[in-house]
Amino acid sequence: MPLSREDLADLIDGRLPWPQVKAIVSTPKDDDRFQRLLEVLQTRVAWAERILMPLGDHLYVVEKGTERIVKCDCGQEFGDWRCNWKLHSLVLVRDGEASLQEIWPGRSAPDPRLCEVREYICPGCATLLKVETVPFGYPVVFDALPDLDVFYREWLHAPLSSESACEDRSLTVIGQWAADRGAPPGPN
Amino acid sequence: MKKTLKEKLAESRQAYAATGCYAGITEPRLLRSDPIAAELFHSRLLAALIAGRETTKMISGSPYVREVAELAIGLYTPEGHNIAQSTGIQAHSRPMGEAIQWMIEHDWEEKVGIAPGDLFWFNECSVAGMHPADVYDILPVFREGELVAWVCTVIMEMDIGAVSPGCMPVPNVERATDGVRFAGEKVGSHDQLRHDIVTKCEMSFDMADMFLLDRKGAIAANLHVRREVEKLIGECGLEWFRTATCELIEEERRNQLARLRQRTVPGRYRNVISFEYYMAQQPTSWLPAKRDVIRLAPMETRIDASGRVVLDFEGAGEWGWHSFNATPSGMWGCLAIGIVQTLSWDGRANLGSLLPFELELPRGTVFNPGDTRPLAQANTWATTIETFSAWMATLSQTYFMRGFREEMLGFRSAYSIAMVGYDQYGQRRPLLAACTGTIGSAASAVRDGLDPGALLPTPEVDRGNAEIWEAFVPHLDLSHRLDPYSAGAGRYRSGLCMPIMNLIHGGREIVGSALVSGGTYGILPNLGLSGGYPGGKLIRAVLHDTNVAQLIAERRPLVHELGSPADPDYARLIEARISHPHHVPEPFALANGDITIDAHGAPGGFGDPLERELEAICRDLDNGLITAEIAARLYGAEARFDTRMQSWQIDEDASARRRREKRAERLARAVPAREFWVGRSRQLAAREFDPLISEMYASSMKLSESFAQEFRDFWALPASWQPEVP
Repeated sequence: MPLSREDLADLIDGRLPWPQVKAIVSTPKDDDRFQRLLEVLQTRVAWAERILMPLGDHLYVVEKGTERIVKCDCGQEFGDWRCNWKLHSLVLVRDGEASLQEIWPGRSAPDPRLCEVREYICPGCATLLKVETVPFGYPVVFDALPDLDVFYREWLHAPLSSESACEDRSLTVIGQWAADRGAPPGPN
Repeated sequence: MKKTLKEKLAESRQAYAATGCYAGITEPRLLRSDPIAAELFHSRLLAALIAGRETTKMISGSPYVREVAELAIGLYTPEGHNIAQSTGIQAHSRPMGEAIQWMIEHDWEEKVGIAPGDLFWFNECSVAGMHPADVYDILPVFREGELVAWVCTVIMEMDIGAVSPGCMPVPNVERATDGVRFAGEKVGSHDQLRHDIVTKCEMSFDMADMFLLDRKGAIAANLHVRREVEKLIGECGLEWFRTATCELIEEERRNQLARLRQRTVPGRYRNVISFEYYMAQQPTSWLPAKRDVIRLAPMETRIDASGRVVLDFEGAGEWGWHSFNATPSGMWGCLAIGIVQTLSWDGRANLGSLLPFELELPRGTVFNPGDTRPLAQANTWATTIETFSAWMATLSQTYFMRGFREEMLGFRSAYSIAMVGYDQYGQRRPLLAACTGTIGSAASAVRDGLDPGALLPTPEVDRGNAEIWEAFVPHLDLSHRLDPYSAGAGRYRSGLCMPIMNLIHGGREIVGSALVSGGTYGILPNLGLSGGYPGGKLIRAVLHDTNVAQLIAERRPLVHELGSPADPDYARLIEARISHPHHVPEPFALANGDITIDAHGAPGGFGDPLERELEAICRDLDNGLITAEIAARLYGAEARFDTRMQSWQIDEDASARRRREKRAERLARAVPAREFWVGRSRQLAAREFDPLISEMYASSMKLSESFAQEFRDFWALPASWQPEVP
């Protein structure tokens, strides 16, 4: 169902009345939704880099020169899109009774012996970007690594100017941290 | 010479392997050549299936059928491939076909005989199915002496002859405790059940009347569909019918791929879920089963350039002696029910909807134990629901990225108390009430989640009428109120849940257990998106030796809602001895006047809660969907109740100040990710963690060297590092 630019903006903002949202849910999808979404999103950010992919409510993969990086709409940058952006954020860890009770009171709190809650926060605007609830010690979850080149080239038929392999490079950050720490020297 | 079913099945598989197209149909022509006829054809098939399902609801007496409608009907090709499916519990579309294929592959045609009017039953979950309580009634359809289709109805039974509580028991670990299983047994001919089979049911089940009424409903439904299919073949001809049904599957495969390319983004997506199986105190005679374990399930979804999707569970922990292990059949079933609610919801879902997907379920894991014949399988649902509830969060992430934010949808597992004992009419039997319809759905990026009415297993979720359940089970329903503390907070919050609160009344010698539809408890599922939180842990309370009789005599209030979990109503309003059994409890005694409570946490919210519109918070306050305490604590909103206006007012300036303070507090408390990593890495290196967690990682690392390697690499642990096994 074709959406006007205004309706799409209202949909994104949660202002579209439910009967219209229901109609959008129930009718065939608009093929150009992604391109039109980017148009709306691009007008809302204060920086000039081209948005290639929204990752979250405030996070985008953007084209910065020849690089692709993750960027918050406040302008904070989180490094190469192939490294988990969470590794460049602030983390508020809830792994004790007191801090868990702040969110889930009484018996509704998870078990601090088993569960840890990581809140990833933007250093630039203090926005809560992601809450991760995982077993204690589980590696930081790399939620989404979109294959941008396949997407733009083969699905949108609009290839990006320079292509780069879609591979998880988070361990380059970890390797640096391990080296800085001294021992053991980097990933094994 | 006429081909056997076995030959047809082998040919169909070879054709798909060779072409990638169902039945080798590389150029579907028939349905495209006459779209009107094609549409009419499909509509009539679907109408027959839905009418059959409605027929069952009128004949059956079970509240599971009449109140919450846990049934569905499918039409299958001679090879056992799903052509069309009625409304209802969609998980069985593929497993019912697997059951038919197993019969074909095991020479049923030659050695058992398949004739017009033959009736077969199937609930052998080591072959196919979601759990033994789901019984398949299978009927072949013939035309001119040739088997041309199958009709299959699934109904969930409340009594399958298992050990207490009689259906979906928790303490059972061995096959024989699961109840009666049917592996394609021919139970009737000429459309009639055999007398000896009916007698066997009467001898085997406490609730044989319900079981047999359900069978009559299922047979009636199957006969209705058979008649409609015969009519259709009479009108369009057998060859047209054959080609058209195969093309329906191939067209759906193509459509599903097109939807995936239209609505998702290729790439790699990750999530993780864990399952807590606490069996150490369960009264089971197979002693090796008596251990508490947690099992990890890393979940990687890869969408390739063609749109095909691989769900890879490398790193999953080991299977165990309990009834919660999943199976490949069950995993496919839960995938089917997930995608039918977001991708293929246009009524055309069939086998083709699943063909673009691939499941990688390493053998020996909790998802694929291998030979499951010795195992109890009463709660296969639990692990599969938990898994695919988490997968829906991943699918929602791809919808968000592609811009289809209105399609985001998420679920969470549900639990309730199940019982066995003497009912209010003096009969000893399973005493189950459905826990469906009590859970809110996850938030999307455009609106709050749906208040109760979300459950992965069925799109038509319904809690049923309290009065019917009260007539059926010796309890009185104390609450149908929304629980403000259940929601997952966020810019858009999840839907709210309804606590299940029942007063035991009118029965005797009642034993409590649980109906388990999940595996998470102390570890919250990772369901929050873009800064939203998941709802909290299940709160289960059992109030024994209560003063309810006195409260009723004095006309004082009972308990009808949870209140703040920090100071719950049940602890303040009722004098009682309170226990808090975990999600898979050991059996416990219940008496009249006791109260059972299950208060669930909802799935995830979406977005930073500090960005929730104040207007939405005020609306929730006015509707009783949030408290002023929650508004301040989670949303940074300052609210007061205006007694003159009889409504809530938000102080915008004070709220803005509070939100600034909360953001500043975040920055003050949070640490750079590197600092977190250094600390956690040291703790792991020193093995400073709970023995349950240690054993969980050891189990995954035992099965998967790649998981072990990735774990050690991420935390920069030495190559020799292994978690200790307690």
